[in-house]
Amino acid sequence: MKRGWLPLALMTTLILALGAYAEVHSSAFLGKQNLNSLLLEAMPLIVVSMGQATALLVGGFDISVAALMTMCVVTASFTMTPSSSGITLVLGALALVGVGVATGMFNAFLIRVLRLPSIVATLGTLSVLEGASLLLRSYPNGTINTDVTNALNSGVTFIPFAFVGVVALALLADGWLYRTRTGLAFRAVGLDATSSRRLGMSTGRTVLLAFVLCSVMASIAGFYLAAEVQVGSPIIGNQALESIAAAVLGGASLAGGKGSFFGTMLAALFLTEIDNVLPLFQEPSEYADMTIGVLILLALVLYQAPELIARARTGRQRVARLPAETAGEAPAA
Amino acid sequence: MSIPGPVPLEVLSACGVSKAFGAVQALHDVSVTCRAGEIHALVGENGSGKSTLLGIASGFLAPDEGTVEIGGSRLQSHSPAAARRLGLGIAYQDYSHVLDLSVAENLFLAVPVEARPPYGQMESWAEATLEEFNLILPVTAPTGSLSLAQRQFLEVVKALLTRPKVLLLDEPTTALGPEAVEQLHALVLEQARAGVAIVYVSHRLPEVLAVADRVTVLRDGVSQGTFPAASVSEDGLVELMIGRPLAAAFPERRAPDADADVLLAVTGLQGERFGPIDLAVRKGEILGIAGAEGNGQVQFLRALAGVERAVGRASCDGASLDTRSPLGPLRAGVVLLSGDRRGEALFPVLSVRANATVPVLRRLARFGVVGHRRERRAIADLVERLRVRMGSTEQPVQSLSGGNQQKVSLIRPFLRGDVKVILAEEPTQGVDVGARFDIYEALRGKADEGLAAIVKSSDPLELAGLCDRVVVMSRGRIVEEIPRHELGERRIVEAIVGSRTGVTARDDDGAQA
Repeated sequence: MKRGWLPLALMTTLILALGAYAEVHSSAFLGKQNLNSLLLEAMPLIVVSMGQATALLVGGFDISVAALMTMCVVTASFTMTPSSSGITLVLGALALVGVGVATGMFNAFLIRVLRLPSIVATLGTLSVLEGASLLLRSYPNGTINTDVTNALNSGVTFIPFAFVGVVALALLADGWLYRTRTGLAFRAVGLDATSSRRLGMSTGRTVLLAFVLCSVMASIAGFYLAAEVQVGSPIIGNQALESIAAAVLGGASLAGGKGSFFGTMLAALFLTEIDNVLPLFQEPSEYADMTIGVLILLALVLYQAPELIARARTGRQRVARLPAETAGEAPAA
Repeated sequence: MSIPGPVPLEVLSACGVSKAFGAVQALHDVSVTCRAGEIHALVGENGSGKSTLLGIASGFLAPDEGTVEIGGSRLQSHSPAAARRLGLGIAYQDYSHVLDLSVAENLFLAVPVEARPPYGQMESWAEATLEEFNLILPVTAPTGSLSLAQRQFLEVVKALLTRPKVLLLDEPTTALGPEAVEQLHALVLEQARAGVAIVYVSHRLPEVLAVADRVTVLRDGVSQGTFPAASVSEDGLVELMIGRPLAAAFPERRAPDADADVLLAVTGLQGERFGPIDLAVRKGEILGIAGAEGNGQVQFLRALAGVERAVGRASCDGASLDTRSPLGPLRAGVVLLSGDRRGEALFPVLSVRANATVPVLRRLARFGVVGHRRERRAIADLVERLRVRMGSTEQPVQSLSGGNQQKVSLIRPFLRGDVKVILAEEPTQGVDVGARFDIYEALRGKADEGLAAIVKSSDPLELAGLCDRVVVMSRGRIVEEIPRHELGERRIVEAIVGSRTGVTARDDDGAQA
């Protein structure tokens, strides 16, 4: 658990450092409007990354999340039209969650029943969803209801209510993961599925739950994206790799069983901040991708550093200490 | 006619169980019962169906035919969870620990949900629970930091925490030294007295016979019968297991040549968990390393092979041995047969052929291309000589039994002409009786050719039968050397126990964490 704080500390530091740097170079950064748009921009990535973190926790990947977000945007352009209001609008929004649940079940079926590796299974799902989106909207068309957009963007000063919501959700989720019986069982399945099954845990149900949660979070992210773009675009979602990056930067292990929702939230915020800050310096966006790549590598090395250092140190110490300890001791006969 | 006394209740009964994997009939119409308070030994060679039977009884596998009843209720759905609910506890041979989680968390997960303490009190509860079993372990440490012996004990404790009516023990003593075995047996006997039905699977006949009430022998998936333990001898059981009397359990030893050149010399070698050690092994000699588990034997062997860090001097055939990486010893002709066959010695998914030839591919390649036919020709004799039982050399090595896997890793030193020293770590662990002899014979054959071998084993009988000389290690150092004419199981066990006077297994284990 001690090591679990490292990603949180690193992400917080980076967010603040980049913010301070940006503010020094351009006073526009700390403006309420810019901070507000930064948080709003970050919402889809934060939500989808938290979903991705659940998939990583059980030792899987879900690279179909971006295509699912696109599918949800396209679906929204049919179910959440400007003419719908009240109950029809709620049903329209629920349709997106329905798409998420169905996708998650399908992924879990491929992984658990057909025993496909999750990366291959969700790659298939990704293609199917992309095709379906293009089938429904071959070009960006269909306006999405702006009432929803306005509701999502409301908040106090520059902080959207929705952002407060995801922060609370991340904290609750981490509390569940590290402070409850079911959270422990969830991590155990991710760390060692065979042992968990031997101990009588239902590993299949855990994986199903993780992938359905992941897809539901992706569909909520798609809902946000729809509110942002306000048109049924079939080529909008591209956060699959970014969501994995955020989860990993937030402390998730690709081998499963380790991760933090709060850390993921911070990392997603940081990744969005990079995108947000670069225009202030008139830097091309290619630098953002390269920066993110380098940061992921550095962070992963840093996260493992305590272990490596500890191992090296104890190894040396023990070798050096052993003769002194045993020298005065007559071998028992 | 007198009225019969109360018949002990049958708590576990497997009835007419059959199971096939593809074309292989793993079990054929096997029926076994275990009564409350009984210790029922299940013995048989590898591949005889023991594991399959345990798998079916514990709900991990579904039988093709037949039924399993636990505590009088039939096991309906085949899942470990269902078997646990009916009152079955099992200690797996390869454990059920989540190594990244702490000891306390592992214990917590092992207990049925309704019997778990509040989440926040997990650690104090874990301490109290371990104390009940006279086990002192650091409850907050990751389970992965425990020694294998500690993990094995923890596995049995975890099985007992479910308060089972039936306890299945699958090779529960593989990592335990003689003293720890006794500690475990005391625990098992206590459970039996409390009315738990215990099925005990083991390769170690003397051990299992010491505690068992009845013995069932399996051979090729067919039951050879169930006998009262008091009425059977080890020889008789071995005969039933392999279907033929074992002529000689160990290959013949030549008279030791005291003037032979020293091949491997070790001076003041020490590492994290052993040393300083001085040792010399002569040409043609097989040196045994005995000791209670976790006293640095494995680390010493691995350090010699360059796998583990150590300081000090070692030389092979007069030339200094560079043990900073595995490459130095390999080049000098010192090869390690790791005890962790799946993890370190073999590539489980690759074929027998590829596994055998991988160290000598350069020799088998022509212009950089390896000819499969050339490879097959190179290993054909050896496969036969070592009696590797398999369908073809193209079969993945993971589909072979443990003994045959070990034989495949033994082919390697035979393929290389320049091997001088073989370091064998538990060469027959998990290996059946018949295959053991083949492995002993291979090692002895190599020694007769002028090689030297060091064999680390937790089986005193094996060391006594195979080796020319045995050294006993305790707390990382050699405390006794037993010459050839004194070698015997009893002598070795006495040396191990004697060398550990006043030191409990727990103290030793604690020092390694």
